[in-house]
Amino acid sequence: MEVHSGFLAVSLLLSFFVAATRGSYFSQLKDTLTVTATHPQGQVLKAGDDQITVTWRFNQTYPAGTDSDYKTVKVKLCYAPISQKDRKWRKTEDHLKKDRTCQHKIVARPYAASNNTFTYTIKKDIPTGVYFVRAYALDAQDVEVAYGQTTDAHKTTNLFEIQAITGRHKSLDITSVCFSAFSVVSLAGFFYMEKRKAKVSQQK
Amino acid sequence: MPEIEGSPGTSMHGVTGREPVLAFSVASPMVPTDTTAKFKLPVDSEHKAKVFKLFSLANPHMLTFHLSWLSFFTTFVSTFAASPLVPIIRDNLNLTKSDIGNAGVASVSGSIFSRLVMGAVCDMLGPRYGCAFLIMLSAPTVFCMSFVENASGYIAVRFMIGFSLATFVSCQYWMSTMFNGKIIGLVNGTAAGWGNMGGGATQLLMPVLFEVIKKAGATPFTAWRIAFFIPGWLNVIMGILVLTLGQDLPDGNLGALQKKGDVAKDKFGKVLWYAVTNYRTWIFVLLYGYSMGVELTIDNVIAEYFYDRFDLKLHLAGIIAATFGMANIVARPFGGFTSDFMAKRFGMRGRLWNLWLLQTAGGIFCLCLGLVNSLPLAITFMILFSIGAQAACGATFGIIPFISRRSLGIISGMTGAGGNFGSGLTQLVFFANASFSTANGLSYMGIMIICCTLPVTLVHFPQWGSMFLPPSKDNVKGSEEHYYVSEWTEEEKLKGMHLGGLKFAENSRSERGGMVASVSTPNVTPNHV
Repeated sequence: MEVHSGFLAVSLLLSFFVAATRGSYFSQLKDTLTVTATHPQGQVLKAGDDQITVTWRFNQTYPAGTDSDYKTVKVKLCYAPISQKDRKWRKTEDHLKKDRTCQHKIVARPYAASNNTFTYTIKKDIPTGVYFVRAYALDAQDVEVAYGQTTDAHKTTNLFEIQAITGRHKSLDITSVCFSAFSVVSLAGFFYMEKRKAKVSQQK
Repeated sequence: MPEIEGSPGTSMHGVTGREPVLAFSVASPMVPTDTTAKFKLPVDSEHKAKVFKLFSLANPHMLTFHLSWLSFFTTFVSTFAASPLVPIIRDNLNLTKSDIGNAGVASVSGSIFSRLVMGAVCDMLGPRYGCAFLIMLSAPTVFCMSFVENASGYIAVRFMIGFSLATFVSCQYWMSTMFNGKIIGLVNGTAAGWGNMGGGATQLLMPVLFEVIKKAGATPFTAWRIAFFIPGWLNVIMGILVLTLGQDLPDGNLGALQKKGDVAKDKFGKVLWYAVTNYRTWIFVLLYGYSMGVELTIDNVIAEYFYDRFDLKLHLAGIIAATFGMANIVARPFGGFTSDFMAKRFGMRGRLWNLWLLQTAGGIFCLCLGLVNSLPLAITFMILFSIGAQAACGATFGIIPFISRRSLGIISGMTGAGGNFGSGLTQLVFFANASFSTANGLSYMGIMIICCTLPVTLVHFPQWGSMFLPPSKDNVKGSEEHYYVSEWTEEEKLKGMHLGGLKFAENSRSERGGMVASVSTPNVTPNHV
């Protein structure tokens, strides 16, 4: 009995351990995809307005058959190091399940070796920052097996800047001022009226 | 035996957990009922209620109770409304970790000053206007969130909203005008605990509002701004309710207050001196910074922590974070209860051990919270930590009334301010720094709680002892009278100003423990309004 429960405990622990470490590590992935992103040059891109055209294909310099297990491609918008500074919620981790570099999905497509292109209108919830584009190739079990990105290994070249929407609206501002004024005026009104009532009753 | 009417701080005589926690009412022989008064509840000669009927809205006493704790609750909701939405706000405003941490510090710093000023405001305008002024003037600051575009704006607005936490003072002051001194402990403890719950309720409310507004079609960066309108409206609504339904005194409003202005008041300078020169005051200022202070800190950081560390959805992180603040509904009164329970057998020494045990336990669980990697364990440790910290808050105010009779009000105020100061300091050191992860910050905070609770071992009352030392055997120095009456000079004793202190000393003999005679609660009736 003790042996069985001990064995159960160990195998449970092991399975937790395995589950925690399942999934790929970025350092194990092969850089077999060539990804390019084109966008209006020389300016900061505006969220909600500007567009990025992303193309990706299999890098033919690798032996044929390397891409035999690629089933889907997920293209993501990723933070450059400067946008990760002092922001641990965007940290780069080797274990992809814990990695927070690429938080915004651009598109997901079934894998094709070439002729892949997508025009992405930058969503309104993208924060202000400096970015690059990365594409992951996943196998049938949805595990990352390869990648490609628009920047170099140190993430220093070919970066682009996005300016977020403020989220402010004129109507919101006006409503805010109105309610604030209501609060102050009604308080002042009450105070004045009660002081007057007290004065009147004192005079009586 | 004349009490010092209107002495600075007597309004704070309600801020205790000392009165037996289960005292829901005061029996007639102890405090005679005024049978001529036409109130729904039995009242004493000052028309203060002798009975605490929780689920009644009887005007004016119970209505005041509910208006009062709800106002305090509302300010907690507004002050910590940003915390569960930080994952969205940080993206909208491009905040760094230091910006978020500094905003947290700012949110608790404003009220250090506003709480100290609020007592004077209540004295001048009455608690009704004190409360209404504060919450209705802070409503615009909440609405200001819709204008914020960067880190400095965010920090400034959170600082301004934080001033509204001074409703704690108006709440306790108002309760003391409405409830008899023998039940004021339970009334104030309940009001304070339920008000603090707002910090938990907001973690639940804001993410839900955010999701609903998003579903209605708003983009995330607009939706969170719209969500802030709800706490703003709550402020305005509560302000109007307080003004229309509330009254300063059982018999009416402010006018009566001003009639009592010609009674001799205690000198503020003297009261402050006796508070500041009593070393125990400072130990409790430090200690409360690591029970209440820690609670405020967690209100600010915990939702973001669960969102980031365990990858939860925003509203789920909010639900978990809410359980921390909501535990106040029982945890704080529980601390007062254990304090009274220990005092029955072991007197003041029992109270001190009780406080040390609860607060240190809280610290240990906080340490564990930062260390664990699994969600169920983290939630468990967080709940245990919340019980420890909040019960310690209740236990602290079980001891504070005994530090001084003359300066109780100021000591209570300083302790309260110490709570906010501790929170600001802790957030600055452990959570505004990019070099610590939040998990490490929590663990270090746990260690800091354990260390900063140790000074309670130094609190020694000559008449009752301390955690490790027995009471003084000297007949004079070891008496309660000697301790309390030493706060008055010979001149003042000639005027009879110390007589209230003598009475208090007599009643406090129950702090010797061992079921000593005279278990009647010390009379801390605030008899000015």
